[in-house]
Amino acid sequence: MNQTAQQDLRDEEIVALCQKGQSEVFEVLVRKYMEKAFRIAFDFTHDVEEAKDLSQEAFLRAFSRIKQFDGRSSFYTWFYRLVVNICLDHTRRKGRVIWERLERETERGTEPMEIADASSSPDQEAMAGEAKRRADRTLEAMPNKQRTAFLLRNHQGLSIQDIAKVMKTTEGTVRVYLHRAVAALRQSLLEFV
Amino acid sequence: MKEPRDTLQTACRDFEEDLVLHYYGDGSAAERSRVEGHLQSCSSCQEFLDDLRKLLPKMAEPSELPPMFWDNYYNEMVEKLAIHQERHAWWKSLFAPMRGWMVPAFGTAAVAALAIGLVVGRGHWHYPFSQTQERIPQEILADTNQLEFFESMDMLETLSSLEALDGTKVQPGNNHHS
Repeated sequence: MNQTAQQDLRDEEIVALCQKGQSEVFEVLVRKYMEKAFRIAFDFTHDVEEAKDLSQEAFLRAFSRIKQFDGRSSFYTWFYRLVVNICLDHTRRKGRVIWERLERETERGTEPMEIADASSSPDQEAMAGEAKRRADRTLEAMPNKQRTAFLLRNHQGLSIQDIAKVMKTTEGTVRVYLHRAVAALRQSLLEFV
Repeated sequence: MKEPRDTLQTACRDFEEDLVLHYYGDGSAAERSRVEGHLQSCSSCQEFLDDLRKLLPKMAEPSELPPMFWDNYYNEMVEKLAIHQERHAWWKSLFAPMRGWMVPAFGTAAVAALAIGLVVGRGHWHYPFSQTQERIPQEILADTNQLEFFESMDMLETLSSLEALDGTKVQPGNNHHS
Protein backbone atom coordinates (compact mmCIF):
# COMPACT_ATOMS: atom_id res chain seq x y z
CA MET A 1 0.00 0.00 0.00
CA ASN A 2 1.43 3.40 -0.96
CA GLN A 3 1.69 6.32 1.42
CA THR A 4 -1.18 8.33 -0.05
CA ALA A 5 -3.53 5.39 0.26
CA GLN A 6 -2.40 4.88 3.84
CA GLN A 7 -3.11 8.52 4.69
CA ASP A 8 -6.70 8.09 3.49
CA LEU A 9 -7.42 5.19 5.78
CA ARG A 10 -9.72 5.64 8.74
CA ASP A 11 -8.30 4.98 12.21
CA GLU A 12 -10.26 1.77 12.59
CA GLU A 13 -8.91 0.47 9.27
CA ILE A 14 -5.36 1.28 10.30
CA VAL A 15 -5.84 -0.48 13.60
CA ALA A 16 -7.30 -3.52 11.83
CA LEU A 17 -4.27 -3.66 9.52
CA CYS A 18 -1.89 -3.40 12.50
CA GLN A 19 -3.76 -6.19 14.23
CA LYS A 20 -3.27 -8.34 11.13
CA GLY A 21 0.47 -7.74 11.28
CA GLN A 22 0.94 -4.74 8.95
CA SER A 23 2.47 -2.74 11.75
CA GLU A 24 4.17 -0.23 9.43
CA VAL A 25 0.82 1.55 8.94
CA PHE A 26 0.90 2.54 12.59
CA GLU A 27 3.18 5.37 11.48
CA VAL A 28 0.12 7.02 9.91
CA LEU A 29 -1.43 7.21 13.36
CA VAL A 30 1.79 8.69 14.70
CA ARG A 31 1.72 11.39 12.02
CA LYS A 32 -1.94 12.10 12.70
CA TYR A 33 -1.87 12.25 16.49
CA MET A 34 1.68 13.27 17.38
CA GLU A 35 0.87 16.94 17.80
CA LYS A 36 -2.21 16.31 19.92
CA ALA A 37 -0.39 13.78 22.08
CA PHE A 38 2.51 16.15 22.53
CA ARG A 39 0.20 19.07 23.42
CA ILE A 40 -1.58 17.07 26.12
CA ALA A 41 1.73 15.99 27.60
CA PHE A 42 3.02 19.55 27.43
CA ASP A 43 -0.07 20.87 29.22
CA PHE A 44 0.69 18.46 32.03
CA THR A 45 4.45 18.90 32.20
CA HIS A 46 5.24 22.38 30.79
CA ASP A 47 8.47 20.87 29.52
CA VAL A 48 9.18 20.16 25.85
CA GLU A 49 11.53 17.21 26.38
CA GLU A 50 9.34 15.55 28.98
CA ALA A 51 6.28 16.09 26.83
CA LYS A 52 8.06 14.50 23.89
CA ASP A 53 9.16 11.49 25.93
CA LEU A 54 5.75 10.95 27.50
CA SER A 55 3.81 11.27 24.26
CA GLN A 56 6.23 8.92 22.49
CA GLU A 57 5.86 6.45 25.33
CA ALA A 58 2.10 6.61 24.77
CA PHE A 59 2.59 5.74 21.10
CA LEU A 60 4.82 2.80 22.01
CA ARG A 61 2.27 1.58 24.51
CA ALA A 62 -0.52 1.89 21.98
CA PHE A 63 1.59 0.02 19.43
CA SER A 64 2.36 -2.84 21.77
CA ARG A 65 -1.25 -3.10 22.93
CA ILE A 66 -2.90 -2.62 19.57
CA LYS A 67 -4.15 -6.22 19.56
CA GLN A 68 -6.02 -5.53 22.78
CA PHE A 69 -7.94 -2.66 21.18
CA ASP A 70 -11.45 -4.05 20.78
CA GLY A 71 -13.09 -1.15 18.96
CA ARG A 72 -15.65 -0.49 21.68
CA SER A 73 -14.43 3.11 21.73
CA SER A 74 -12.81 5.08 18.96
CA PHE A 75 -9.06 4.79 18.54
CA TYR A 76 -8.44 8.38 19.58
CA THR A 77 -10.47 8.00 22.80
CA TRP A 78 -8.48 4.88 23.62
CA PHE A 79 -5.22 6.60 22.73
CA TYR A 80 -6.06 9.79 24.66
CA ARG A 81 -6.68 7.63 27.70
CA LEU A 82 -3.21 6.15 27.35
CA VAL A 83 -1.64 9.60 27.02
CA VAL A 84 -3.57 11.02 29.96
CA ASN A 85 -2.76 8.05 32.19
CA ILE A 86 0.93 8.26 31.36
CA CYS A 87 0.89 12.01 32.07
CA LEU A 88 -0.97 11.57 35.35
CA ASP A 89 1.46 8.88 36.48
CA HIS A 90 4.28 11.21 35.59
CA THR A 91 2.82 14.20 37.43
CA ARG A 92 2.12 12.05 40.48
CA ARG A 93 5.75 10.95 40.50
CA LYS A 94 7.12 14.39 39.76
CA GLY A 95 4.49 16.56 41.42
CA ARG A 96 6.90 18.19 43.76
CA VAL A 97 9.47 18.87 41.06
CA ILE A 98 6.94 20.69 38.90
CA TRP A 99 5.91 22.84 41.86
CA GLU A 100 9.50 23.71 42.59
CA ARG A 101 10.12 24.65 38.96
CA LEU A 102 7.07 26.91 38.95
CA GLU A 103 8.27 28.51 42.18
CA ARG A 104 11.67 29.18 40.61
CA GLU A 105 10.07 30.62 37.49
CA THR A 106 8.00 32.95 39.64
CA GLU A 107 11.03 34.08 41.62
CA ARG A 108 13.11 34.67 38.50
CA GLY A 109 10.19 36.09 36.56
CA THR A 110 10.98 33.72 33.70
CA GLU A 111 8.93 34.49 30.63
CA PRO A 112 6.57 31.68 29.76
CA MET A 113 6.51 30.21 26.28
CA GLU A 114 3.38 31.80 24.91
CA ILE A 115 0.37 34.05 25.56
CA ALA A 116 1.88 37.44 24.71
CA ASP A 117 1.53 38.24 21.03
CA ALA A 118 4.00 40.24 18.96
CA SER A 119 1.90 43.40 19.02
CA SER A 120 1.73 43.56 22.83
CA SER A 121 3.38 46.37 24.74
CA PRO A 122 6.06 45.43 27.33
CA ASP A 123 3.52 46.07 30.10
CA GLN A 124 0.97 43.84 28.47
CA GLU A 125 3.57 41.17 27.90
CA ALA A 126 4.63 41.25 31.54
CA MET A 127 0.99 41.08 32.59
CA ALA A 128 0.32 38.21 30.23
CA GLY A 129 3.40 36.40 31.53
CA GLU A 130 2.26 36.78 35.10
CA ALA A 131 -1.25 35.63 34.18
CA LYS A 132 0.17 32.56 32.49
CA ARG A 133 2.28 31.70 35.52
CA ARG A 134 -0.69 32.17 37.81
CA ALA A 135 -2.84 29.97 35.58
CA ASP A 136 -0.16 27.27 35.55
CA ARG A 137 0.09 27.34 39.31
CA THR A 138 -3.67 27.14 39.71
CA LEU A 139 -3.80 24.20 37.32
CA GLU A 140 -0.99 22.45 39.16
CA ALA A 141 -2.79 22.90 42.46
CA MET A 142 -6.02 21.41 41.13
CA PRO A 143 -7.04 17.82 41.77
CA ASN A 144 -5.88 15.67 38.84
CA LYS A 145 -9.37 14.89 37.63
CA GLN A 146 -10.42 18.53 37.45
CA ARG A 147 -7.22 19.46 35.65
CA THR A 148 -7.57 16.58 33.18
CA ALA A 149 -11.17 17.47 32.37
CA PHE A 150 -10.24 21.10 31.89
CA LEU A 151 -7.19 20.45 29.71
CA LEU A 152 -9.04 18.00 27.51
CA ARG A 153 -11.95 20.41 27.01
CA ASN A 154 -10.21 23.76 26.90
CA HIS A 155 -6.88 22.87 25.31
CA GLN A 156 -7.74 19.77 23.29
CA GLY A 157 -11.31 20.60 22.36
CA LEU A 158 -12.68 17.16 23.24
CA SER A 159 -16.42 16.91 23.78
CA ILE A 160 -17.81 16.22 27.24
CA GLN A 161 -18.88 12.80 25.99
CA ASP A 162 -15.36 11.93 24.82
CA ILE A 163 -13.77 13.24 28.01
CA ALA A 164 -16.13 10.99 29.97
CA LYS A 165 -14.93 8.03 27.90
CA VAL A 166 -11.28 8.97 28.29
CA MET A 167 -11.66 9.43 32.03
CA LYS A 168 -14.00 6.45 32.37
CA THR A 169 -16.62 8.46 34.20
CA THR A 170 -20.05 9.97 33.55
CA GLU A 171 -20.74 13.13 31.57
CA GLY A 172 -22.31 14.67 34.67
CA THR A 173 -19.10 14.17 36.61
CA VAL A 174 -17.05 15.72 33.81
CA ARG A 175 -19.33 18.77 33.86
CA VAL A 176 -18.75 19.15 37.59
CA TYR A 177 -14.97 18.82 37.19
CA LEU A 178 -14.97 21.33 34.36
CA HIS A 179 -17.08 23.83 36.25
CA ARG A 180 -14.88 23.61 39.35
CA ALA A 181 -11.71 24.00 37.31
CA VAL A 182 -13.03 27.02 35.42
CA ALA A 183 -14.34 28.65 38.59
CA ALA A 184 -10.96 28.18 40.30
CA LEU A 185 -9.10 29.64 37.33
CA ARG A 186 -11.41 32.62 37.09
CA GLN A 187 -10.98 33.29 40.78
CA SER A 188 -7.19 33.12 40.63
CA LEU A 189 -6.98 35.25 37.47
CA LEU A 190 -9.42 37.90 38.60
CA GLU A 191 -6.87 40.71 38.59
CA PHE A 192 -5.87 40.00 35.00
CA VAL A 193 -9.37 40.23 33.56
CA MET B 1 -2.56 49.33 31.18
CA LYS B 2 -6.01 48.31 32.27
CA GLU B 3 -6.85 48.67 35.96
CA PRO B 4 -7.15 45.25 37.51
CA ARG B 5 -10.48 44.30 39.03
CA ASP B 6 -10.41 43.45 42.70
CA THR B 7 -13.86 42.02 43.30
CA LEU B 8 -15.21 38.80 41.93
CA GLN B 9 -18.68 39.11 40.50
CA THR B 10 -20.24 35.72 41.06
CA ALA B 11 -22.75 34.21 38.68
CA CYS B 12 -26.10 32.89 39.85
CA ARG B 13 -25.55 29.59 41.64
CA ASP B 14 -28.05 27.71 39.46
CA PHE B 15 -26.46 28.92 36.25
CA GLU B 16 -22.72 28.84 36.82
CA GLU B 17 -22.16 25.26 35.65
CA ASP B 18 -24.43 25.82 32.64
CA LEU B 19 -22.53 29.01 31.79
CA VAL B 20 -19.28 27.04 31.60
CA LEU B 21 -20.95 24.55 29.26
CA HIS B 22 -22.48 27.42 27.32
CA TYR B 23 -19.06 28.95 26.82
CA TYR B 24 -17.77 25.69 25.33
CA GLY B 25 -20.88 25.25 23.20
CA ASP B 26 -21.95 22.16 25.13
CA GLY B 27 -25.28 21.27 26.63
CA SER B 28 -28.61 20.50 25.01
CA ALA B 29 -30.62 23.01 22.95
CA ALA B 30 -33.03 23.40 25.85
CA GLU B 31 -30.18 24.17 28.26
CA ARG B 32 -28.72 26.67 25.85
CA SER B 33 -31.97 28.56 25.36
CA ARG B 34 -32.54 28.59 29.13
CA VAL B 35 -29.09 30.12 29.67
CA GLU B 36 -29.53 32.64 26.85
CA GLY B 37 -32.86 33.73 28.27
CA HIS B 38 -31.30 34.22 31.69
CA LEU B 39 -28.34 36.15 30.30
CA GLN B 40 -30.71 38.79 28.88
CA SER B 41 -31.66 39.86 32.36
CA CYS B 42 -28.65 39.00 34.56
CA SER B 43 -25.61 41.23 34.44
CA SER B 44 -23.50 39.17 36.85
CA CYS B 45 -23.91 36.01 34.75
CA GLN B 46 -23.14 38.07 31.65
CA GLU B 47 -19.97 39.29 33.33
CA PHE B 48 -19.04 35.74 34.34
CA LEU B 49 -19.38 34.62 30.71
CA ASP B 50 -17.37 37.62 29.49
CA ASP B 51 -14.56 36.70 31.90
CA LEU B 52 -14.46 33.17 30.52
CA ARG B 53 -14.32 34.54 26.97
CA LYS B 54 -11.36 36.72 27.90
CA LEU B 55 -9.40 34.19 29.93
CA LEU B 56 -9.91 30.72 28.59
CA PRO B 57 -8.93 31.08 24.92
CA LYS B 58 -5.58 32.57 25.93
CA MET B 59 -4.82 29.61 28.11
CA ALA B 60 -5.35 27.24 25.23
CA GLU B 61 -3.07 29.01 22.79
CA PRO B 62 -0.41 26.47 21.91
CA SER B 63 3.23 27.39 21.75
CA GLU B 64 4.53 27.39 18.21
CA LEU B 65 7.18 24.80 17.51
CA PRO B 66 9.25 24.80 14.32
CA PRO B 67 8.42 22.22 11.61
CA MET B 68 11.82 20.68 12.20
CA PHE B 69 10.72 19.74 15.70
CA TRP B 70 7.84 17.69 14.28
CA ASP B 71 10.05 16.08 11.65
CA ASN B 72 12.49 15.03 14.35
CA TYR B 73 9.66 13.86 16.55
CA TYR B 74 8.24 11.70 13.79
CA ASN B 75 11.61 10.23 12.76
CA GLU B 76 12.51 9.49 16.36
CA MET B 77 9.18 7.82 16.87
CA VAL B 78 9.53 5.67 13.76
CA GLU B 79 12.98 4.61 14.98
CA LYS B 80 11.64 3.75 18.44
CA LEU B 81 8.85 1.71 16.87
CA ALA B 82 11.37 -0.20 14.75
CA ILE B 83 13.51 -1.00 17.81
CA HIS B 84 10.43 -2.05 19.73
CA GLN B 85 9.31 -4.29 16.90
CA GLU B 86 12.75 -5.85 16.55
CA ARG B 87 12.84 -6.72 20.24
CA HIS B 88 9.35 -8.08 20.04
CA ALA B 89 10.25 -10.20 16.99
CA TRP B 90 13.25 -11.68 18.84
CA TRP B 91 11.08 -12.55 21.80
CA LYS B 92 8.43 -14.02 19.55
CA SER B 93 10.91 -16.16 17.63
CA LEU B 94 12.14 -17.62 20.90
CA PHE B 95 8.68 -18.98 21.59
CA ALA B 96 7.72 -19.51 17.96
CA PRO B 97 7.57 -23.30 18.17
CA MET B 98 5.24 -23.03 21.15
CA ARG B 99 1.59 -23.02 20.09
CA GLY B 100 -1.09 -21.34 22.17
CA TRP B 101 -2.43 -24.58 23.63
CA MET B 102 1.08 -25.58 24.69
CA VAL B 103 1.34 -22.97 27.44
CA PRO B 104 -1.40 -24.39 29.70
CA ALA B 105 -0.26 -27.93 28.82
CA PHE B 106 3.27 -27.16 30.00
CA GLY B 107 1.91 -25.52 33.13
CA THR B 108 -0.22 -28.57 33.99
CA ALA B 109 2.71 -30.91 33.37
CA ALA B 110 4.97 -28.84 35.63
CA VAL B 111 2.42 -28.85 38.47
CA ALA B 112 1.90 -32.62 38.09
CA ALA B 113 5.66 -33.25 38.16
CA LEU B 114 6.00 -31.17 41.30
CA ALA B 115 3.15 -33.06 43.02
CA ILE B 116 4.65 -36.46 42.11
CA GLY B 117 8.05 -35.29 43.33
CA LEU B 118 6.58 -34.27 46.67
CA VAL B 119 4.73 -37.59 47.14
CA VAL B 120 7.64 -39.82 46.11
CA GLY B 121 10.31 -37.83 47.89
CA ARG B 122 8.47 -37.66 51.22
CA GLY B 123 10.48 -39.37 53.99
CA HIS B 124 13.70 -39.14 52.02
CA TRP B 125 14.20 -35.52 52.65
CA HIS B 126 16.25 -34.24 55.54
CA TYR B 127 15.21 -31.01 57.06
CA PRO B 128 18.07 -28.93 58.39
CA PHE B 129 16.30 -28.30 61.70
CA SER B 130 15.98 -32.06 62.43
CA GLN B 131 19.73 -32.17 62.99
CA THR B 132 19.82 -29.27 65.44
CA GLN B 133 20.08 -31.54 68.49
CA GLU B 134 23.14 -33.27 67.01
CA ARG B 135 24.90 -30.02 66.32
CA ILE B 136 24.57 -28.62 69.88
CA PRO B 137 27.95 -28.79 71.65
CA GLN B 138 28.24 -31.17 74.58
CA GLU B 139 29.09 -28.37 77.06
CA ILE B 140 25.81 -26.64 76.41
CA LEU B 141 23.89 -29.91 76.71
CA ALA B 142 25.56 -30.56 80.08
CA ASP B 143 24.50 -27.09 81.22
CA THR B 144 20.98 -27.82 80.16
CA ASN B 145 20.94 -31.03 82.26
CA GLN B 146 22.21 -29.07 85.28
CA LEU B 147 19.52 -26.50 84.78
CA GLU B 148 16.87 -29.21 84.84
CA PHE B 149 18.39 -30.56 88.11
CA PHE B 150 18.26 -27.13 89.76
CA GLU B 151 14.70 -26.58 88.60
CA SER B 152 13.61 -29.88 90.23
CA MET B 153 15.37 -28.80 93.48
CA ASP B 154 13.45 -25.53 93.45
CA MET B 155 10.24 -27.45 93.03
CA LEU B 156 11.00 -29.64 96.09
CA GLU B 157 11.82 -26.55 98.14
CA THR B 158 8.53 -24.99 97.18
CA LEU B 159 6.76 -28.24 98.09
CA SER B 160 8.31 -28.28 101.57
CA SER B 161 7.42 -24.63 102.13
CA LEU B 162 3.83 -25.41 101.19
CA GLU B 163 3.82 -28.36 103.60
CA ALA B 164 5.16 -26.09 106.39
CA LEU B 165 2.43 -23.59 105.72
CA ASP B 166 -0.17 -26.29 105.60
CA GLY B 167 1.09 -27.77 108.93
CA THR B 168 1.68 -31.20 107.41
CA LYS B 169 4.33 -33.23 109.17
CA VAL B 170 7.06 -34.59 107.10
CA GLN B 171 8.00 -38.15 107.85
CA PRO B 172 11.68 -38.74 108.59
CA GLY B 173 13.38 -40.41 105.72
CA ASN B 174 11.14 -38.59 103.19
CA ASN B 175 12.67 -36.02 100.91
CA HIS B 176 13.34 -32.87 102.85
CA HIS B 177 15.59 -30.21 101.57
CA SER B 178 16.26 -26.94 103.25
